[in-house]
Amino acid sequence: MKSIRLPSVGQWILIILLFFSFLPVYFIFVNSVKTPLDFAASTLNIPQHFEWSNYTAAWDKISMPIVNSVVIIAISVFFIVILSSMSAYAFAKLSFPLKNSLFMLIFSLLLIPGFLTLIPLYLQIKKLGLSDSYWALILPYIAGGQAFTIFVLKTFFDQLPNELFEAARIDGAGNPKIYTSIVLPLSIPICTTVGIININNLWNDYLLPSLLLDRAHQTLTVALVSFEASAGNYGLSDYGGMMAAYILASVPLLLLFSVLMRNFVEGIASGSIKM
Amino acid sequence: MKLKDKYKVALTGYAFILPTFIFLIWFMYYPVYQALSGAFTNWDGFNAPQFIGLDNFKRMMTDEVLSQSTVNALIWIAFSIILSVVPPFIVAELIFHVKKTKLQYLYRTLFVVPIVIPGIVTVLLWRLLYQGDGAINQILEMIGLGSLQKLWLGDPNIALYSIMLMGFPWISAFNMLIFYSGLQGIPQEVIEAAKLEGATGWKRVFRLDIPLSLPQFRLIIILSLIGSLQNIIPPLIMTNGGPGYSTYVPILHMYNVSTVNGEFGYGMAVALIMFLVILLFTILNMKLVKSES
Repeated sequence: MKSIRLPSVGQWILIILLFFSFLPVYFIFVNSVKTPLDFAASTLNIPQHFEWSNYTAAWDKISMPIVNSVVIIAISVFFIVILSSMSAYAFAKLSFPLKNSLFMLIFSLLLIPGFLTLIPLYLQIKKLGLSDSYWALILPYIAGGQAFTIFVLKTFFDQLPNELFEAARIDGAGNPKIYTSIVLPLSIPICTTVGIININNLWNDYLLPSLLLDRAHQTLTVALVSFEASAGNYGLSDYGGMMAAYILASVPLLLLFSVLMRNFVEGIASGSIKM
Repeated sequence: MKLKDKYKVALTGYAFILPTFIFLIWFMYYPVYQALSGAFTNWDGFNAPQFIGLDNFKRMMTDEVLSQSTVNALIWIAFSIILSVVPPFIVAELIFHVKKTKLQYLYRTLFVVPIVIPGIVTVLLWRLLYQGDGAINQILEMIGLGSLQKLWLGDPNIALYSIMLMGFPWISAFNMLIFYSGLQGIPQEVIEAAKLEGATGWKRVFRLDIPLSLPQFRLIIILSLIGSLQNIIPPLIMTNGGPGYSTYVPILHMYNVSTVNGEFGYGMAVALIMFLVILLFTILNMKLVKSES
């Protein structure tokens, strides 16, 4: 008969910490199914009746912002990865005059904090007449993701053996062909990891979208902050709807991570991302 | 022929990096240039900026909101370094000492899962928890500590600490994974040798794990130092610097003088000084790394 081994002290501490880490998730969920009256009674208990209509109300308010965020981020991250991998390939495997200086010029951007360019970007995009459109965010996002992504990808490409490329060259493949048929396929895992990091950063961005976009193009973060806790019955605010919106806001990243979690955890834990 | 080939490779190289540079010049280098040059002007976004020398920097010396913000920022940096190092390291240690690899993976994954909650939701949620009739005061009432109830964000003496301490139990998934990878990188021979010398349990942590994880500690300390100076969302959303100026930090000041008052020149001067401070810390850190290796 197998004896059941109890977790050691260390594991008990981990379990207690996990409990507290997930407490906010519990709090958001139980309140997302409460009527305003239940919410006013207590924010901590599980209600007897689950008010699922909070979710449809929340969906009405944030479905458009979720779509906006997904469109903006999908286009941005696609171009971040494509342009960065092209540059990283050139810096790792091609030789041209001023290569090192140009790389240093990109590398130096890693030292520039976002707040320094925030206000000038905001004014510049307004001047270009791009505010209140998706491009207001897509163009600066593509630029903003380059330095970090190029740096990570170049480190990866540097480790690819040169013979691989020589062999293809002897077979008559040009650089564009080598890039599409060797470099891109080999770098899918690392591109996925940097892609996730970029998605996660942009998904949480708040300042630039709050300054530049009108209601029709509002992103999710801005919509969540300006979520009007509209007065419901009994003159109480619609906190249930707000909590339901928080749950819905977490679903896209939850889907992404449930598919790619192993990739993400291994990617960072293996030390392939160094700063 | 050879020369022509070289020429062709160089051209291809430029062609590969050209798209990147178009974006960078347009949306990175030009804004950086504008920020750096704008700091010496009375730029208001509409009229042509005029060069005013160091006037913005002189104004900073006598700006009382800025000095209050700086004090707050120093407190914030100290707290955020402790909170971003200690809890994640403890969790990484505990997970590392779980015997089964499968269980280790399970714990790592479970601690990472909460990152699907957008950062802004965490901030909005804690604003709600801290309310007068919010969950924290409700819990205090429930366990008979009603006398400890406070206006967590409304009392100027504690509002700053309330904001800094949100996010209990402060286990940053990213930092935890970095520490964990550091622990994994300790060579087996070193661990065996330490065991022979009787370094187990706590002794092992202090004599072996912490000294050998110094690179990870340094990385996380510098990242959280830089990160906490840039952390504008919590004070902006939770209190907008209030009550009074008790939760103001320099970046919030920069943001508000620029976007609310339209004093872009002055805002850029504040941003420039903050940038120089961050740059100084980064360079110091790099020097330290170099001198050790």
